[in-house]
Amino acid sequence: MHFLEIIKNLSLVQWAFYFLSILTLYGALGTILSKNPIHSVIYLVVTFFSISGIYIMLNAQFLAAVNVIVYAGAIMVLFLFVLMFLNLKEESTEMKTSPMLIAAVSTGLLLGLILIATIRKAEITRVNYNDFDPNTGLIETLGMVLYKNYMLPFELVSVLFLVAMSGAILLGKREKGESHF
Amino acid sequence: MYPIIVFSVSGLLMLFLGLSVNKKSLLPYNLLFMLVGLASNFLDWNAPGLYFNGMLEISNPIILVQWVLIFAAILVSGISSRQFDDTHAYPAEYYAIMQFALVGALIMVSFQNLLMLFVGLEILSVGLYVLTGSDKRNLRGNEAAIKYFLMGSFATGIFLFGVAMFYGATGSFDISSGNSVANNLLEGKMFFWLGMVFIFIGLLFKISAAPFHFWTADVYQGAPTVFSAFMATIVKTAVIFALFRLAAYSFNLEYENWSKFLVIIIGLSMVIGNVTAVFQTNFKRVLAFSSISQAGFMLLSLIGLGAQSYGNLGFYSLSYALATISAFGVFLVISSNTIVEGRPSENINVFDGLFSRNPDLAIILLISMLSLAGIPLTSGFWSKFFVLNDAAAKGYFWILILGVLMSAVSLYYYFNPIRASFKKTDLGKIEISSLSKYTLYVCAALTILFGIAPNILRSLF
Repeated sequence: MHFLEIIKNLSLVQWAFYFLSILTLYGALGTILSKNPIHSVIYLVVTFFSISGIYIMLNAQFLAAVNVIVYAGAIMVLFLFVLMFLNLKEESTEMKTSPMLIAAVSTGLLLGLILIATIRKAEITRVNYNDFDPNTGLIETLGMVLYKNYMLPFELVSVLFLVAMSGAILLGKREKGESHF
Repeated sequence: MYPIIVFSVSGLLMLFLGLSVNKKSLLPYNLLFMLVGLASNFLDWNAPGLYFNGMLEISNPIILVQWVLIFAAILVSGISSRQFDDTHAYPAEYYAIMQFALVGALIMVSFQNLLMLFVGLEILSVGLYVLTGSDKRNLRGNEAAIKYFLMGSFATGIFLFGVAMFYGATGSFDISSGNSVANNLLEGKMFFWLGMVFIFIGLLFKISAAPFHFWTADVYQGAPTVFSAFMATIVKTAVIFALFRLAAYSFNLEYENWSKFLVIIIGLSMVIGNVTAVFQTNFKRVLAFSSISQAGFMLLSLIGLGAQSYGNLGFYSLSYALATISAFGVFLVISSNTIVEGRPSENINVFDGLFSRNPDLAIILLISMLSLAGIPLTSGFWSKFFVLNDAAAKGYFWILILGVLMSAVSLYYYFNPIRASFKKTDLGKIEISSLSKYTLYVCAALTILFGIAPNILRSLF
């Protein structure tokens, strides 16, 4: 009964939040549980879209748009490309028999347990609705922060991209001769 | 601050030089750029303060550490002479990526903002993932690169999660804001502690401290030897100083909490590193496990956080870099002279009869091994002495005893190559290019110099 009371009293925002959260978790579970890698990628797209929804609820429209364009768009297309190149028909069964699976699951659960136990205890400071600046998270504010306060890291990211690009070209160059140990 | 600009530009220039200049003259250009970077650091001398809206901190001790990094990079370039002469090597790209990686390393020792630390860490790591796999025809190198990339990016993810928690707890990326939550109640500190643990784990992975060391041996073995030397010295120095900055400025009020788990990691690193190294036959794997145990010793200066420990860590980094680069340098020369099954042999028996084949190299190898083991009259002795002294001052006596005990174990595997080099052999003399010869002389001379008079360096910090 108590549970029903809570459900009845949910506000529209809370309904939206729980819907998006459940969708996110559904997508994430589908990603790791589905046997067909293509299905995994589609599930991941679901997760990214619902995370974008949560970003919008946090008043971060720009982040939501970037998340859709970059992750759900570009990176997922890249994943699909790679999967289709590799032409993975049969799912790999290596993980099913190995003790690696048990070790990985138990480590992950242990980490989850510790995180949940810690965060349950933590005191979370809530946003004060009365003096909340509605411009927070909008692209104008973000641009001001990025080009004023965080100018140096923003510029240095270009060095990072340069390393990644020249590295990719270096590794992608055609190589003569045979490979050997 | 200026070397960051110099190396960002010179890395680009290096890529263009690769198009117009022949392969053999790329190394002099690389050395020239690095010397320009070294000199440009003088411009920051005696101008301490925060720069770029509190993104970077510049002070004289930080500049000295940046010198150590650039100097180590120069030495690594020195031993790389003649290594990239064959048709499958692309030295312009290698040197360019080395310079970019140096940008990341320089950021990591002077950051004031966790975002800067993240950018620096990524520039350094991405560069190294590429350099590890740069010998594309070597299957072991391919395996090492993919392993390093996957595990390294996972560690970066853990680190980033910690940064997010740190931001959630303090509302700022500035490292000094860690003190703002110090007076909170237990409940208010939860996110801060989570952040602290995850940031530590992410960075401890990068210096290959013990429970996070599994990638080290495979990656050091698979990577081309020049880049193994780069990885062992520059990455380790940059990350340990990043950890030191965090420990000293963000987490210093939580010392009681993190020192307990760090001291266990130190003990594990010493035991696992030294004991496993005894059973290795591949020299690069020996140095990989030795670097794990050296990481444990370096972390001791975090435990013994005090007025002198920054200087002691700087001394340790330089003496470790000198010894490791000369060990890798000697090994590089000999193994490229000993081809087994189409590849340079990496077994310890390449050192057989080194003394009769090239006495200079044998002596340099002897000095570097003695320094790594921590024998008096080499700088390695003093570096270990200082960090153990710091830890003992904080009351961690059992780690001191363990450290001395493990140094004794390390004597066994550090003496293997020395023993091998005095064997009799009928193999011919070994030729060595003059640049790498002088680099090795410099390493050995400085190791002895700092071993006799450690205060020359230490008084600078």
